[in-house]
Amino acid sequence: MKVRFNNVSFAYDEESVVLKNFNLTINDGEMVAILGHNGSGKSTIAKIMMGLLEVEKGEIYLNDKVLNMDTIEECRNHMSIIFQNPDNQFVGVTVKDDIAFGLENKQLPREEILNRIQKYLRLVSMEDFIDHAPEELSGGQKQRVAIAGALAMESELMIFDESTSMLDPKGTKEVNEMIKKIKNENNKTIIVITHNLEEASYADRIVVLNSGEVVTDGTPKEVFKKIEVLEASGLKTMESVSIIHNLKNKEYKNKKEIEEALWELTFNE
Amino acid sequence: MNNIALGQYVDGKSIIHKLDPRTKLLSLMLLMIAVFLIPKPLNNSFGRTASFIMLGGFAVIILMIVLFTKISLIKYLNSLKQLAFLFIFTFIIQLLTPQGDNKLLLDLNLNLSIVGILIIIAWIVLFILLRKFIPLKLFVFLGLTCLSIYLLTYDLGFSFGSFKLKLYEDGLYNGSFFFTRIFLVIMLSTVLTLTTKPTDLTSAIEWYLHPLTYLKINVSIFAMIISLALRFIPTLFNETQKILKAQSSRGVDFKEGTLKEQISQIISLLIPMLVISFKRAADLADAMEARGYIPGAPRTKLNIMKFGLSDLFSFIITLIIFATIIIIKVI
Repeated sequence: MKVRFNNVSFAYDEESVVLKNFNLTINDGEMVAILGHNGSGKSTIAKIMMGLLEVEKGEIYLNDKVLNMDTIEECRNHMSIIFQNPDNQFVGVTVKDDIAFGLENKQLPREEILNRIQKYLRLVSMEDFIDHAPEELSGGQKQRVAIAGALAMESELMIFDESTSMLDPKGTKEVNEMIKKIKNENNKTIIVITHNLEEASYADRIVVLNSGEVVTDGTPKEVFKKIEVLEASGLKTMESVSIIHNLKNKEYKNKKEIEEALWELTFNE
Repeated sequence: MNNIALGQYVDGKSIIHKLDPRTKLLSLMLLMIAVFLIPKPLNNSFGRTASFIMLGGFAVIILMIVLFTKISLIKYLNSLKQLAFLFIFTFIIQLLTPQGDNKLLLDLNLNLSIVGILIIIAWIVLFILLRKFIPLKLFVFLGLTCLSIYLLTYDLGFSFGSFKLKLYEDGLYNGSFFFTRIFLVIMLSTVLTLTTKPTDLTSAIEWYLHPLTYLKINVSIFAMIISLALRFIPTLFNETQKILKAQSSRGVDFKEGTLKEQISQIISLLIPMLVISFKRAADLADAMEARGYIPGAPRTKLNIMKFGLSDLFSFIITLIIFATIIIIKVI
């Protein structure tokens, strides 16, 4: 699914303008990471796309179909979103009921619902937890259930809105593995909204936001090279990228000097 | 707080678990009404025997239902524990109230002596101080109360008055009757919550409310509200525990202090709970909307209800019991 933002502006109130003439095109089958610090407007983009917020100015096109309050119900059939808090999106009393929720809204027949529950729980390796209540699951497991629920909708576009920000390192790893698996095995358009550069590095393309404007856009390698832009946008670069950047500016005679410099950079000595 | 049975479904494959939730809901409601319809013990031995036989009969039926559920009795007792105070309070009030022919069961002359009262105060203070370490607190407290009453029958010194404690025979019968009646009703409702998934219960309620749709009342929204409330009860209880621990670590003691202090301590729990609940509600609404939920719009259902032979059989038995009680009541 192709997504196009055309001069989109949005503000929560007169003083806090979140997006200003925002333009962005995401191609069909592409995985794009929208990167930005807290308050940069990245989650607002996800909410606008899902029709949870209404734009003040500009248009959003999904496959050349304009997204507005009249078309949103139809458009939601083609998109699914995974939010950051795994607890607040778990609607069902059990894993099975939760995955069924969206499918029941789509008015799918019971047999089809059951088939999809089995299929997508297997895909996220949660088939043994089918009758478990949310309290019996870890944060990572709940987020995998949310992913299964989103996948079960079989939509062409998936949005991960900071879906690892409330998880522990184990849960974060589980969810990131899942995103990579979806990217490799499906031809879906994926939007990953994050402030974590490592998560963004799995994407085909990274868009960096600052104060509601795109400050840079390119492949992960191209974006990570612009270390000053990332830092100016309030983002912490990955250790490996900082090391490469620092090594580039100095000359070293031998391996030992390089090793010493690496230790120095790693511990900021 | 962890023992609360509401919304705490216990997975199982018993006959009771397999019953259609509509059958369970209606049958258990009818049985509860039937328990309340059992006539109060009359002032003669025949009336009393009849009431207690009926109550005993119900106790046997409910015990059989409980055994059929194949759920540990501890689960049931845990849910009853929350209401132990209500049981005992009802029993004591009935016991001390003159009723019927006012036949006395016990007539004690209690001495109000300074020494006796000081001993009782000392027991109470000791009980409050050591309550964290006392197992079966309620029974210990009742034992101490009985012991205090016994102590007051003696003049221990510096007596300044006396009063009469009268226990009536009818009070004892009525107290036992009401105690057993509430106990049985709570057991029945616990059977329902422990063997029925909240979603199934909601579906059953939605089904029974369906006629309201002809009055343009959207029952599916009502069912969704119940379902979400049941879903979030355990989550909010966990949240409460976390806040309790967080506030305790900052020096708030929810168990000690004067009434005024306790109220302000409860406020320190209630305000974060309210803020969190509103935030959760807003996030959940977004998640539901994003997943295509439109209030009142038609939806298919994963969990479908089937009325089978076992349901018919259970329902007929319930109707027979209910009809019998009605006939006895009318006669």
